[in-house]
Amino acid sequence: MGKFVIRRLAQAVLVVIAATLLLFIGLFVLGDPFASTGDKTVPPETQAILREAFGMDKSLPMQYLTYLGNLFTGDLGVDFNQRRAVSEMIGTALPATARLALVAIVLDVLIGVVAGIIAAVFRYSFWDVLVTVLTTLAIGIPTFVIGVWLRQTVSGWWIFPGVPRSFTQVVPWWQEVLLPAITLAVVDAAFIARLMRGSMLEVLRTDYIRTARAKGLGERTVILKHAFRNSIIPVVTYVGISIGILLGGALITETLFQYNGVGFLLVKSINQNNNPVIMALVTFAVLIYVFLSMIVDILYAFLDPRIRLS
Amino acid sequence: MSSAAEIDLEGPPSPLLEVRDLRVHFKTDYGVVKAVDGVSWHVDEGETLAIVGESGSGKSVSAMTILGLVPSPPATFPTGDIMLRGRSLLKMPEKQQRKLRGSQIAMIFQDPLTALNPVFKVGDQIAEMVRVHQDVSKHTAKKRALDLLGEVGIPNPAVRLNQYPHEFSGGMRQRAMIAMALANDPHVLLADEPTTALDVTVQAQIMALLEKLQEDRNTAIVLITHDLGVVASHADRINVMYAGKIVETGTADEIFYEPRHAYTFGLLSSLPRMDQSHQERLVPIKGLPPSLAAVPRGCPFHPRCDFATDLCLQEVPELRSVGGNGHRAACVHSDRVAMAHEERAVL
Amino acid sequence: MTTPPDPADLSAPAQAVLVESASDHPGPLLDEAPSGKKKNRSQLADIWRRFKRNKLAMTGLVVVAIMVVLALLQPIITPFDPYDQNLLNSLQPPNADHWFGTDVLGRDLYSGMLYGLQLALIVGLCTMLGSMTIGVALGALSGYRGGFWDALVMRVTDLFLAFPYLIGAILVVRTFGSGVPQIILALVILGWPTAARLMRGQILSLRESEYVEAARSIGASDTRIVARHILPNAIQPVFIYSFTGIGVAIVAMASLAYLGVGVPPDTPEWGRMINQGIEQVQVAGKDFLWIFPSAAICITTLAFAFVADGLRDALDPKLR
Repeated sequence: MGKFVIRRLAQAVLVVIAATLLLFIGLFVLGDPFASTGDKTVPPETQAILREAFGMDKSLPMQYLTYLGNLFTGDLGVDFNQRRAVSEMIGTALPATARLALVAIVLDVLIGVVAGIIAAVFRYSFWDVLVTVLTTLAIGIPTFVIGVWLRQTVSGWWIFPGVPRSFTQVVPWWQEVLLPAITLAVVDAAFIARLMRGSMLEVLRTDYIRTARAKGLGERTVILKHAFRNSIIPVVTYVGISIGILLGGALITETLFQYNGVGFLLVKSINQNNNPVIMALVTFAVLIYVFLSMIVDILYAFLDPRIRLS
Repeated sequence: MSSAAEIDLEGPPSPLLEVRDLRVHFKTDYGVVKAVDGVSWHVDEGETLAIVGESGSGKSVSAMTILGLVPSPPATFPTGDIMLRGRSLLKMPEKQQRKLRGSQIAMIFQDPLTALNPVFKVGDQIAEMVRVHQDVSKHTAKKRALDLLGEVGIPNPAVRLNQYPHEFSGGMRQRAMIAMALANDPHVLLADEPTTALDVTVQAQIMALLEKLQEDRNTAIVLITHDLGVVASHADRINVMYAGKIVETGTADEIFYEPRHAYTFGLLSSLPRMDQSHQERLVPIKGLPPSLAAVPRGCPFHPRCDFATDLCLQEVPELRSVGGNGHRAACVHSDRVAMAHEERAVL
Repeated sequence: MTTPPDPADLSAPAQAVLVESASDHPGPLLDEAPSGKKKNRSQLADIWRRFKRNKLAMTGLVVVAIMVVLALLQPIITPFDPYDQNLLNSLQPPNADHWFGTDVLGRDLYSGMLYGLQLALIVGLCTMLGSMTIGVALGALSGYRGGFWDALVMRVTDLFLAFPYLIGAILVVRTFGSGVPQIILALVILGWPTAARLMRGQILSLRESEYVEAARSIGASDTRIVARHILPNAIQPVFIYSFTGIGVAIVAMASLAYLGVGVPPDTPEWGRMINQGIEQVQVAGKDFLWIFPSAAICITTLAFAFVADGLRDALDPKLR
């Protein structure tokens, strides 16, 4: 088990380092951030000054190594626009994104798991058909479109704050998080419901479920203890990966609802060619994603003793 | 003993478990599948009854029906009943039936690898069986699981208790299944192909273990198998099933030495025998068992039968006495089968 | 979230079932040419028969066909040039001349939508073909050769899959500049690893199957084994995924455009139309501006998803 964790960890670290290299090449080698700022062309002298200020006059390998070194000490540099510390910018955006991810995950796990179990246990019933229809729609309709519809119809109603908001309006965080979280939860809940239904149906056909029934266990125990523990494994994997993606920033949803998380920050930085922020945010997204995938693998092994010990 | 156990001890003592004219039908797209079609038998304490037949003959479905694990719908039970000490299992409410499952009637399955839940420790799975039916603490249940593992001959039970099924070998797993089945000292043990998935040497060990445990507890065993070889030295009585019906029933000696149904004769001819001095050609039964949705007219075995005549087509033969007390066969040509068997024995 | 859920995970159950079916019916593959081909054809007919029974899938297929026809006829049936501005005629609600109304620059939205349809289908199709070609080739190499090639391909897919889909696409487009070819390039770069993984998984399980062993034992060459015995069976889930992939690519382009990345700013593209429409709604309350393009995206992706679902069920009836 220890060996497995170490091997997996080394693999994750390598992937992250390779990703930063790829990112660095894309951002700094193939593209020149100072060739233009928005629509205006920047004079050569100004460009030179800027390059020096941001340490970009050094050789590229030097720059990359400096960046990697700074990454390990938590120094993410300053942004091109207003000279704020990038780590501070992420520091304010990340809690918002984490809240959003958490609410979305809680919503979709609750809805997805319950719907999936009901659909599997009462196979071919009205509820099963309903779940199948709803998940088909939810998966088929892009989140982007769902977000647009929600924003254009329900935002501004009842407890849902309007978008775009005036600066003076103060909205409690849970109201602010509601609509983007629902948008994100729709698709994930549908996927989880399908996964749960599929794996539950598979597990319910197994011999050990027959054994559990032959023991005289009640149907509730058979499903919620014996079948659940086995069928939840693919859901755990999916949720883990999903958290990784959400924490990295839900670009479209955050932008649609002008939710000040890392996704919206990244979109703004991309439109401003704000390379240090892009670099830091993407590195962060990759890091979170890769390490959550790793944790999922380890968790998977923990949930399935057959993998754990081999 | 749990309260569930007391309920049923009140009934008349004999027979312990009785199946009366049981029919289990399934409605499918292809018509009604008569998985079990009018089967009667009984088993007493300390007795081993073997039910022998090819897959699809209805032997496993009978066992699952006794446990109440055949979901209805799709299954229907047009006639018949199952009596445990005179009390009807089919008419019992599900809740009461569940109390008997695992405490009075326990079952072990063909494939011990898949029959144990992979994510729970073996000891916990046995302890769960104890705690479902007895009001004892977790600790006591675990202690009982430990004793049981020792009793079924698993070395180092204290370690094995905390291991997962995949850490057990095939034979060990089946021992663990047996330990689980016996946790509440059931009166009846249904063993569905208990040795089919195991190595030959392990098969003998498991059968010996079952026999020993049966002697200690006076349990009735219903041994379900496709393999006449397995039952030869273990069964007291044998039911031979074909296409949902019992085609021959009798003591083990009667079935082996005086078969009176062409199907039984066919099964025996396809079996290697130790007690014969010279090598004899094994004769397999030709063809395949019929689909239960389209059972042949008349005697369902006639398309595969060497003895078949037009007589076999006229009606479904009834079980009738062919000598001895209780030796019965459903074959219009039982005399010719008897002669054929004599000839074969002489050769 | 427009990021497609990691298909490597989702495909797992489907994959398992497909593998099962493959080993269940190894029949036609061991036979030599004539009988094998005949059986294959009837297998296709079988699949088509099952597909036809699925109403949802047939609806999807009909919608896809209509969209393809509309996209092909686009230059003929658009009443206006989608780029043609007419400021005197801006923000018209739908009427007899302008079926879907006009945008803030007075451009005909119906013409724009058809142009956007053509663009979406081109990008979807090219992306799918690109990622499938690369993915199938590398996945097959990795799965069948194993060893060094397997390690290399898998580590590269690890690296590409580490980037969240949309973020990765934005970075590629940003690096190579905006434009339709760049978008396709970006989506292919982000899309092939998934196809490669799927393919590899299939090959790995098929490689050990009995009928491949049988082919090997009678001395068939590696190329022959891959081409005749493994590929036809391994390709199924990849083929199904490719339909989902078209939908994913179309949504991805729209999402990029919505964020202001990818297509040039004045291109009539659905995501961009939604973006501009949403802003106009604040000012003028013209809901039709975003309703039509978002409905178009929705119908397109649903149609492709239904076809993919129907195909999956038709290829393996046991799945349901």
